[in-house]
Amino acid sequence: MRFGPVVAGAALLTIITACGSTGDDAAATGGGSGTASGGKVGIDFPRADSDFWNSYSKYVPQMAGELKVELMNPTNSQNDVAKLVANTQALVSQGAKVIVMAPQDTGAIASTLQQLENKKIPVVSVDTRPDKGKVYMVVRADNKAYGTKACEFLGEKLGGKGKVVQLMGALSSINGRDRAEAFRECMKTKFPGITVFDEPTEWEGSKAASMLQTRLEQNPDIKGVYMHAGGVHLAPTLQVLKAKGLLVQPDDPKHVFVVSNDGIPQEFDAIRKGEIDATVSQPADLYAKYALFYAKAAAEGTTFQPGPTDHDSTIISLPNGLEDQLPAPLVTKDNVDDQNLWGNQVK
Amino acid sequence: MSTATPSATPSPPPSAAPAGRLRAGAGLRLGRFRDLTLVPVIVVLLVVGAFVDPVFLTVGNLTNVLQQQSALALVVLAEAMILIAGKFDLSLESTVGMAPAITVLVIPATAGGSGLLAIPLCLLIGAAIGAFNGFLILKFQLSAFVVTLAMMIVVHGLHLGLTGGKSLFELPESIMYLGGATWLGVPASIWIAAVLFAAGIVGLRYFRAGRALYAIGGNPDAARAAGIRVDRVLWTVFVIGGALAALAGVLETGRLGGISANQGVGWIFMVFAASVIGGVSMDGGKGTVLGALTGVLVIGLVENVLTLKGVPGEWKQLVYGGIILVALMISRVAGGKAQD
Repeated sequence: MRFGPVVAGAALLTIITACGSTGDDAAATGGGSGTASGGKVGIDFPRADSDFWNSYSKYVPQMAGELKVELMNPTNSQNDVAKLVANTQALVSQGAKVIVMAPQDTGAIASTLQQLENKKIPVVSVDTRPDKGKVYMVVRADNKAYGTKACEFLGEKLGGKGKVVQLMGALSSINGRDRAEAFRECMKTKFPGITVFDEPTEWEGSKAASMLQTRLEQNPDIKGVYMHAGGVHLAPTLQVLKAKGLLVQPDDPKHVFVVSNDGIPQEFDAIRKGEIDATVSQPADLYAKYALFYAKAAAEGTTFQPGPTDHDSTIISLPNGLEDQLPAPLVTKDNVDDQNLWGNQVK
Repeated sequence: MSTATPSATPSPPPSAAPAGRLRAGAGLRLGRFRDLTLVPVIVVLLVVGAFVDPVFLTVGNLTNVLQQQSALALVVLAEAMILIAGKFDLSLESTVGMAPAITVLVIPATAGGSGLLAIPLCLLIGAAIGAFNGFLILKFQLSAFVVTLAMMIVVHGLHLGLTGGKSLFELPESIMYLGGATWLGVPASIWIAAVLFAAGIVGLRYFRAGRALYAIGGNPDAARAAGIRVDRVLWTVFVIGGALAALAGVLETGRLGGISANQGVGWIFMVFAASVIGGVSMDGGKGTVLGALTGVLVIGLVENVLTLKGVPGEWKQLVYGGIILVALMISRVAGGKAQD
């Protein structure tokens, strides 16, 4: 241990400087947003390990430039509500006038929202709807519609009978629950002849693969799969189907119809190849755009009323604020090359 | 270095339970089966499974279970050896995702046709992480628990940072092959896990280096006094452990057809559950590789039965945890010895 303290000190210094330099990079991109009116906007990203959220994070600085929003250095709460609370406090003490967040735990954020309200700092919540606490605007696609669209597509393709598997997200997430409930509900009312197997995959590819493989062994006549998240479920599903020799073109009678959610580029590729049939494109670009749009409006003191908007969506009234329900288009072979889809704009 | 044989070390080898030699006969027999106390649990699970669904006992389904568990099994093998030697490695779960991810990032850049390098490279990355852990624990004399906890975060952080948090799709065939291939009608991953477990069982029971693990885990000072090169053996175990975790990553990648940003995350709980219900002591020096294997099988069968039965997602965790507790109790009663 002769070299102990020195080495440890040097190592720590290196780590801190390394972190500092990445911080500077972020500052540089943030600073590119130019001068703007209304005050600084603090933004927290919910996690760094999902394809969808990474696309969202990339759109934010770009949209901030277009909308001339004065964006602070983004923080990342790594799917942890405690970190989100700490980050929010840090952003406020650095002078944020508006906060944009995506609380993955919609209950535990309530007291933070209360504190922000007391300080008169408006909050835009992206993708999730906080259970309690004032929000200026929730920017979110209608997750129930995802489940319903997937159900209608599968039901029609299967002719109203047969067996389908639903690879569900985590049940602790409102989006996973909304999709699962809407899908089940729609199958029950519109296609009572279809049996649904629910697989609680916790958004984990490994579990999804095991569960789908086991279910196919038990019921070789399964004809449809609904995946809650293409980012985690796509590769395992394709791999399992391939191993079973079921990865065939849609006109083959052995074809298993697969509907996904997310709208990432890999899903579009799979649709083009005929490996999967449809996906619901969750609009990462619109999330970023309208989160910042409303953040700017909040800083300027604009107020909104429930009703249709100028961008094909509807603002609805919530007990604790408003929600702009953005459109989430169903993508099939017919419209997969549409350049307006965000999945076709990223590389 | 020394002429001392492992059997002369203070810590008794596993195959003979501490009381075995004194109480001859029955005692010895019990000792022989100590690592197999989960066998009754497996039998119960097979019977229950057969009643739950007729598909359960088919060759196809059981093969699926083995294939699904093969990657986890390799990490359990690594952790069992490290635990037996009286150490800890939490960072294995991060290696499962990070090693193949880095390999995939490096290989297309450097290799045109030399995709054969993919798997050796991946194993090398895993071994390097193990070597670094060993360096910090043995040379820096830091606590294995804390070091590997930090390394678990560092390694996963490296994975996220270098991949930008994206899932990796459309990987080179060289890294996909092992996880998806079939040899003689059985998935390659099952063969690999079987061979490595056989090597582990034989190595830890009959080879000097393997038996040294028990001596070190039982009492490192006594082991050192008996002439075992403790640091060297431990370091080797960490390196092998890292490489096994990397291989597990290769198998998992091939099975799933992609590397998600959180591949391997959360595995360590399953790994410890499997090792401990399989009779490996958290304090070192006790347990066997075969026991750990039965632990993996129990976990895989429980998972499979729950899926076949279609237990609702909200209740699955509860049922799962409950079954593991019952398995522990059955193995305690069957084994007749207090759990460490």
